This record gives sequence, structure tokens and C-alpha cells, in this order.
Amino acid sequence: MAETAAPVVQTAGLVKIFKDFWRRPRVEAVKDLNLRISPGEVFGLLGPNGSGKTTTIKMLLGLLYPTRGRISVFGRPPSDVSVKARIGFLPEESYLYRFLVAHETLDYYGRLFRLPARVRAERTERLLDMVGLRQEAKRPIGEYSKGMARRIGLAQALINDPELLILDEPTSGLDPIGARQMKDVIRELGRKGKTILLSSHILADVEDVCDRVTILYGGQQRAAGDISELLRKTDATVITTPALSEQTIEKVRDLILRLEQKDILDVSNPRVRLEDFFLRIVHEAQVANIRTSGVRKLGEIPDFLQKPTESTMETIIESLVGAATRKIEPLPVQEPLPGPRKAEPTREVIDGLLKTPADNDEVKTEAATDSSEPARFEQPRRPSGIDSGVIDDLLHRADDETGDKGESTS
Amino acid sequence: MSTTWTIARHMIAEGIRMKLALVFLVLLGMVVLGLPFSISGDSSLTGAVQSFMSYGLSATGLLLALLTVFLSRSVADELVQRQIYLVMTKPVARWQYILGKWLGVTLLNASFLVCSGLTIYVMVHYIKATHPPIDDRYDEAELNNEVLVSRHALNCVLPDFASPAKLEFQRNIEQGLYDNMPGFDPVVEKVRLAKKYEAYWRVVGPAEMRVFEFRNVLCDRSPDKVVHIRYKADVSEFPRDEIFRCLWRVGDPSKGTPVSNIPVRHVIRRFHSIPVPADRVAPDHTLTAYFYNSNPYRGEPQFDNIIDFRKANEVQVLFVVGSFEWNLVRLLILMQCKLMFLAAVAFLMTTAFSFPVACLASFTVYVLAGMRSFIESSLDWSSDDYSMMFTSVTEFLLHSIMYLFHMLQWVIPDFAKYDAVETFVNGRNVSLVWVLQAVLWLVVVKTVIVLGAAILLFHRREVAEISV
Repeated sequence: MAETAAPVVQTAGLVKIFKDFWRRPRVEAVKDLNLRISPGEVFGLLGPNGSGKTTTIKMLLGLLYPTRGRISVFGRPPSDVSVKARIGFLPEESYLYRFLVAHETLDYYGRLFRLPARVRAERTERLLDMVGLRQEAKRPIGEYSKGMARRIGLAQALINDPELLILDEPTSGLDPIGARQMKDVIRELGRKGKTILLSSHILADVEDVCDRVTILYGGQQRAAGDISELLRKTDATVITTPALSEQTIEKVRDLILRLEQKDILDVSNPRVRLEDFFLRIVHEAQVANIRTSGVRKLGEIPDFLQKPTESTMETIIESLVGAATRKIEPLPVQEPLPGPRKAEPTREVIDGLLKTPADNDEVKTEAATDSSEPARFEQPRRPSGIDSGVIDDLLHRADDETGDKGESTS
Repeated sequence: MSTTWTIARHMIAEGIRMKLALVFLVLLGMVVLGLPFSISGDSSLTGAVQSFMSYGLSATGLLLALLTVFLSRSVADELVQRQIYLVMTKPVARWQYILGKWLGVTLLNASFLVCSGLTIYVMVHYIKATHPPIDDRYDEAELNNEVLVSRHALNCVLPDFASPAKLEFQRNIEQGLYDNMPGFDPVVEKVRLAKKYEAYWRVVGPAEMRVFEFRNVLCDRSPDKVVHIRYKADVSEFPRDEIFRCLWRVGDPSKGTPVSNIPVRHVIRRFHSIPVPADRVAPDHTLTAYFYNSNPYRGEPQFDNIIDFRKANEVQVLFVVGSFEWNLVRLLILMQCKLMFLAAVAFLMTTAFSFPVACLASFTVYVLAGMRSFIESSLDWSSDDYSMMFTSVTEFLLHSIMYLFHMLQWVIPDFAKYDAVETFVNGRNVSLVWVLQAVLWLVVVKTVIVLGAAILLFHRREVAEISV
């Protein structure tokens, strides 16, 4: 990330103190907060309830005024109207007009961005398709479920194709399909180069999509940094293979013992994540055309939110919801992922195995996720530092020693 | 402007979709459409139409004032329900938001006023067509000449009472009448003497004559047109039949106009209107009317009584200056000006307070504006008389309140000054000057000040609520 580029959002010594009727300080919601969000970053604002996340966001949007400190968004104060034209905001709840239908809602917000009528109409249709509510576009928002209203909230946040998207608890109130789509949208927009500020206390969401995070507690910044750096574990290794026989596992164990003088801590069959399982069931129901008054088939992320050259190939959106508009194929069978870790030392053993005696460098595999990392349908990201030759060598040696073949996972 | 217009359109949609405006529209319809079937006035056609218009227009004004205050809750609601988060994070300046809301309410009011005006117009003609006649020949003519018209009223020119008063004053001084008079004030004495001469002029004894002159009678002087002399006479002693008989002679032969001799039998203490051919108005747009206190009807009882033309009921000449329809339009504009000011007040209140408090404050302003003259006189009376009886602290408080009131007085207009319903119902001209005054003073000055205060307040406040 280009740290030298002018930051999209920057705060310096930001303080917000809520006062009572007599102007006496009541709550110090944000204390000396310094943020710097660079262009193209997906930035996570983490913290428990009441930690000051939403207050910070409200100050960035000019809804609250800071007690002290300085805020700049795109180099200007947040109250500047021209700045707001470049921002999309999804609040923690939908806060939509109950008497407007979905179509009118998006049109209204489009008008506020002074989008031409043709662009407004086109984007409204595309966004309604994207959030799967085109069929319900003529119903008043007041009749929508919370999740449906939330989807319209997402659509309105994207109507202006924002350069900076601020999402406050974006997956709150959404079903797993919506939550997944929300994350896909965030990832897609991040790939397009948009800057995204995401506030959440759902850690998995943040971990899935963010490049950098700041953790707040009591209004103060407690930790900040690149998410991969913050979460990296260097004391364990996870290797995922097709199912192995007991004998092979024993051989691997012996090999590890021999080479590293360490034992395997956990061997188990991975489980599909509930989210993936749920999405598959819903997909099957959609293929079977089962009637519902709720969200129907989700559409693709509109072109205007994507790079023309990066049409995101076989993303989950296309395989899961894009199926709505074309012949739907069953989801590709996912490779099982490692099950829950039972004990940390297992990783240490495998980690040790992957270290070559020569250089003793760390080797990590991101393809082999541990149970705390959510499964992803997209191609696994392979870190540049991985040495796959080590794994191949390991398995070849095991084969040579036993000649057995079976199915198991370690 | 496009953003302001977007907010205004949204405000209109909100008013209609939230059914608030519709409820008021139904109420308005019930009042305007139902009144003709429940009001008879004094059982004459003119009375029925006047009563209907008076109640209909007053009810319209009141209902739209209520609607204005209730619609202004939109801002308070959006603050509480937080929809404002999504609006204020779009490229919308705060002034555009408040101005848009105000414009939306103003346009809704205007459309409702137009609906109400059209309905009243149609219903007037319905009453005219269906009301049971008392006197076929007279009823409709009276309605057309007295009510469904826009007439200008000119008071007669009063003679110079100051000159004879001054002469008498000089004479009295020369005669030493004021010598040794304690507390003598020459100015007060001159005023007293002028009032005495005016009082003499206002009474006409038996067999006496009085001349009433009108200037600037800018009417169409065609012989087929008419002007009306309107007056109300009191008497020193009531006759048995409560009718006085006298003669009006209208026209000035010295200016070359024909002269009409008009004998009248009129009920005492009632307004009467005498039609006079318009060619009696002189080319210099003056009209001269002579009143003879003598009975022109032979064989009828002689009326030996003093006629009193009191100052409160000045003799007037009425002449047509416009149509009923345009008069109605000007009246509706005056009503709209008041509603525009009230909308600005209501938005000022809702940007500062929660809806119930804002509602109460807005209605207080509405009532204060409607009763300003009365309140002013009450407070003046309190400060002048009572303050002397209070302690100094109380006096201080009273003066503080008075000071505050004077400040409010400057901002809060006197709605009575712009209340043209009675004028309109009596077929009088709601003049363009009156309308322009209202537009200038109520809208351009006061509404802009109040709306500016609302925008300033809204600009300074945080629109998000505290949530930690």
C-alpha cells in the first residue's frame, strides 16, 4: 500500500467528549485517536461495543463534531459538501424512509448525488439486482425485513460509485448470503482500488476482508497494523492433503519425529464451515425455484463498481447468485479444510518440518487454513515465501519408506 | 437548487405518503363541502354565501396552520429515527436541507390552498344556484354587487376642523377664558376644540343638510356602471318603526355631472348601500353627496330626529376595481404568506427541540401572532399601571419581560394586519399593495430571518445522537 500517497482519511489527536445538559464532561468516547487510511486500503476499525468506533465514523462523516483534534477526508474537513460526493456510507442500521419503495429510495439518494436520470435509473436497477431485491422493488421499505432493508442500505451506499466506502457493522442483520455478499462486495471494491473503512466487532468479517486494522478500547487505540502481520503465527504449521491412511499418517509422524524430534499434535478430518454449507442449501433451493417473499437470487456486482478488465472470473457471487440469471450449475465441491485445532503444538511440529535445516527459514501455507480462518471459495492466496518443494519432498520420502497409499489428512 | 428541490419533493412525498396531508385534505374537504349544507347565515342568499366563505376560509387557514406545524415534525423525526444520517452524508448542505423541507411544506400548503380556493369558488356558485330565494329580483343582484365583487372603499374627506378650532382658541385667549386655569395645555385644548367641531359636523339636525365629498374615485364612469354609497346612521332618539326617511342627492352640477335624488327609508343602526350611477363621479374623480335630514315621502310620519354619522362607521363610496376571482387569488396569497412564516417558525423549533416541544412553541407563536394587538395592549397596561405597585425586583422582572416581548414583537408579525377574510367576504378589494406588503414584510423579511436562524442553528448542531 502506498503509504506515501496522500491519505484518504487522516485524524490527529482526535478527541470526542460528550457533555451533559450543563456542559459538564460525561463520557470521553474517543481519546487522542490518530488514524491514517491510504488510498485503496480496506481498513478495519475493531473494538467491543462502546469502544468509540461509531463515534469515530460519525465524526469522519461530519455527523458529530470533534471536541479536539483534526480530521481530514480527501484532504478537506468532513463538513465539506464536495467531500461527501465521494463517500458511500452504510450505517449500523438501515435508517431508510419506511414510506418509500426500494426503487424510490435509491432514486432519492441518487438525486442527492445529482446523478443524471439515466445513470440513476441504470444504477438503481443494477444495484437492486445485486442485492437480490428487484422483485420487491415496488414494496415500501417499511414492509421489509431487517436484512432486506440492510441490503437496500448497501445499495444506497454504492449508488454514487464512492471512492471511500464507510461501513458501520456491515454484516449486522444480514443472513449468511447477505453477509457473504457484503464481504464479496468489500473485497471486490478493494480490488478496484476503492478505500474502505469498516467498523465491526465481528472479527471474522474484518479478518476476511481487511488489509489493516486498528483496535479500539475505551475510545483509545490499542493496536494497529497490517492484518497479516498482526495475525501471523510462526510457531505452528498446517498441511492439507487428500485423505491419508492411518499408515501414512504414522509414517509422517515418524518422519517428523525423526527429522524434527517433535510429535504431531492433531490429526483430524476438516469440516466444511456452516456458512458454506448454508449457502449450498440455499443455492439448491434457488435452483429448485422454491417460492419466497424474501431475498431471491442475488445478482452480480454492477459493472460500474468493478474494473472493466477485472471481471472477477469465477467468484462466489457468480457461482452462487449469478446462477439466477443463467443456467445454474451445482456448486463445485469444495476441498475439505482442516478441522479444529486441538492443540497448538501440532503446528509447531509441521512448522518445524517445513523449515529446511539449511536456512531454517519460516515456511507458511495459507492454503492450509486452520479452523479459525474462514473458508473461501476463491483461489487460495499463496504467500510468496512458501516452499512447496519441502512438502513434496516430505511426501516422497514417506512414500519411499512405506509404499502405502490411503486417504487421510494431517 | 436541484438538491433543495429534491429535498422539497421528498418532503411533499412524505406528507402525502405518511397520510398526514391526506387526513388534513379530507378534513378540509369535509369542512368546505359540508358547510354549505349546514350554514344559512341570515337566511338571505348574501348571508348564506358570506357565512360560508367566512367559515370556509377561516377553517382553511386554521387547518393549514395545523398541517404546517405537524409536517415540520419531519426534521425532528429524521433526527430521532436517524434517517438524517443518510441525508447528511450525501452532498447536501445543511441550508439546502432546511430550505428544501420548508419549500416542500410551502408547496404543499400552496396546493391545498388552491384546492380549497377552487372548492370554495365552486360551492359559492352552487349555493347561488340552489339557495331558496327570498326576493328573486333582489337576491342575486345584491350578491353580485355586494359580495361576488372586488370593490374599493373610500372614506369621505373630512373638513378641516383644526382651523376653526385654532380661531376659537385664539378668541378664547383674547377673552381670557384660560387665565388662571391650572394645568392648562394649549395643545390638548386645541385638540379638544377640533374634536368638538368634528362632533358638530357628524350630527345632522332635522331639516339640515351635510355634504360628503370623496376624492380619487378611480372608477369606470360609464352611465351603465354604478358606485355605492355605504353608511350607517345612528339617531338621538329611536322612532317607533326604527326607520328614518331622508334624501340623498348625489352629483355635482358645478362639475358638469348629472344629479341623482335618492329618497331612502332605512333601518337605523344598520349598514346601507345606495347604488348611484357612475357618471355622477366628476371627471376629476371626485364625487359629492348631499345628505338631507328631511322626509321625502309624503304621507309618512315626519322624522324629526338628529342623525349621527359616527367616526367608527365612516361614510364611504364603494366602486368596483376588480373581479371576485382575482380577489380570491390575492386573499389566498395573503394566507400563504402567513403559512410560509409559520413554516419557518416550525422548522426553527424542530431543529432545536423535540417534536412535542417544537409543536407547542410553534402554536404559541401562531397564537401570539394572531393576538398580537390584544397582547400588546394588555402588556402595556400592565407595565404602566401595575408596575408602580410592585417592588423594584418585580418591576425589574416586568421590564425584562417587556424587553423580551419587544424583541419578539419585532420578529413575530401581527397576523391580524394580514387577515383579509372579512374584507374579502364583504366584497372589498384585497389590494395588491396589501399583498405586496405581506410578501415583503412577512416573507422577504421575517420568514428569511426565522429561516436563517433555523439554518444557523441546524448548521451548528450535531445531527447524530450520543451513542457510546
